[in-house]
Amino acid sequence: MKTAQPYANPYVAGVCLGLVLLGAFVVAGQGLGASGAFANVATGLVDAASPRTAERNDYFASYLSGGAPWTAWMVVEIVGVIAGGALSAFLAGRMRVEIARGPGIGDRSRLAYAAGGGAIMGFGAVLARGCTSGQALSGGALLSVGSWAFMLAAFAAGFIAAPLARKLWR
Amino acid sequence: MSFADSPLAAFLIGTAFGFALERAGLGDARKLAGQFYLKDFTVLKVMFSAIVTAMLGAFWLGRVGLIDLAAIHVPETFLAPQAVGGLIFGVGFVVSGLCPGTSCVAAASGRLDGLAAMLGLLAGVLITGLAFPLLEDFYRSTDRGVFTLPEMLGLPYGVVVTLVVAMALAAFRLAETLERRS
Amino acid sequence: MKASTLGAGALLLSVAAPFAGSPYRAPQHLDVDGLVAQIERGEDHVTALELAGWIRARKPGLRVIDVRTPEEFAAYSIPTAENIPLDRLAPTAFRENETIVLYSEGGAHAGQAWVLLKALGRDNVRFIAGGLADWHYEVMAPVLAPDASAKDRKAFEAASELSRYFGGEPGLGPAQEPRASDTATRPRVATLRRRGC
Repeated sequence: MKTAQPYANPYVAGVCLGLVLLGAFVVAGQGLGASGAFANVATGLVDAASPRTAERNDYFASYLSGGAPWTAWMVVEIVGVIAGGALSAFLAGRMRVEIARGPGIGDRSRLAYAAGGGAIMGFGAVLARGCTSGQALSGGALLSVGSWAFMLAAFAAGFIAAPLARKLWR
Repeated sequence: MSFADSPLAAFLIGTAFGFALERAGLGDARKLAGQFYLKDFTVLKVMFSAIVTAMLGAFWLGRVGLIDLAAIHVPETFLAPQAVGGLIFGVGFVVSGLCPGTSCVAAASGRLDGLAAMLGLLAGVLITGLAFPLLEDFYRSTDRGVFTLPEMLGLPYGVVVTLVVAMALAAFRLAETLERRS
Repeated sequence: MKASTLGAGALLLSVAAPFAGSPYRAPQHLDVDGLVAQIERGEDHVTALELAGWIRARKPGLRVIDVRTPEEFAAYSIPTAENIPLDRLAPTAFRENETIVLYSEGGAHAGQAWVLLKALGRDNVRFIAGGLADWHYEVMAPVLAPDASAKDRKAFEAASELSRYFGGEPGLGPAQEPRASDTATRPRVATLRRRGC
């Protein structure tokens, strides 16, 4: 197995990420996103299970108004994210099946916390109309007040909750 | 369909996005969580570098007329739900160690916790969506429309740009100092 | 490329920013003759019935904009409409492939908003000439006059079908005034928009 290369300089990587974001602005007239893809997939599932439920629910219905949610721009983009992440990991010898966790908990606990944390983030992302990619990065670069409010609130909450989550990571 | 709306554009942009995130090491939950314990400032450095780059790029390209800044979609501001959503999101972030974008990158490099986070996210969005009628009033509250920092502060766009960069550079300085100590 | 080089570059660009002026494009020169021609050809507006058809067909890129106050919008609005009052209309970014339909109570403000958006260089904008009143009389409560021709009858049947989709009440005889019950029979059509994130 290839030895894993070290990660890139974070400032340089950040600038590259910023250029990708700028590219999205210029080419697509909008920023990056991630939680929107999950919303589209959720809408697709609800619509498949019960079209009436999807249509009567304003949240899901809004994701149906632009055509099939499975092929929404955001969903195709997130497929790209997975492809790009895989490509980078592969080229750098970082492809490995593993569970990244702190030393204090076991694999199963880690997976449960990852899923639980994910669900909580899902709730927050719906309310905020986005996540760190769509709001903090993209809205932040465009100086949107709501996006900066989201970013500051998220990091504040993270720092405040960190001591309580210590056993997960330290 | 213009290229901008095409699946190809979305895929290429997404690929570059995922590639950059993985290069930075943000596919590793330990690194992301490290930010909240002030051990690893990669998250801060990457995020602010990215925001500053895209912000300066958008400003100057707009200024020299190469792009129409007003034509770029700015997310609308709904102050209360976005602030509260942010608080909730932050808790989930430190518990899972990943965010929606990085969970996909983590899963892409073989990390099962990334996959778990993705499934959790889907469930969270699904359940919240189903409960939407209960949340609807709060969700739609405090609508300010497209509302930028220059408008809020009553300052020219360029001045706000300088302030954001100054803040970012100060944050980087602090990060380096704190990292050296730990 | 070294991080310090990037930092120096960012610093330079940011220090120059306050002296650069606005990053937004200046308003475009108004092509008055072109606008007048569009108005005379009727390309500036769309009928309420046509809009109803577009909404039902989920026409891609359609954005229905209500330019009235939030209070008026909350009392009643066309399904899928977004409330963007006149003062917030200018800074709103509309995508090139979007079809914008403006409406107001009687049509005057929407017509003014139309000129505003055209002055900002926006294409593919229309408004409902008779405003919400047209929506009521054409979509929510279309009527068939007793002495209608066969052609009128066919048009009425088509309108009725569309009307029922929106929870309207097509009828015979003289036109009905808008009733309070119009607001109670709103169909379950998505009222949120989706962009990005």
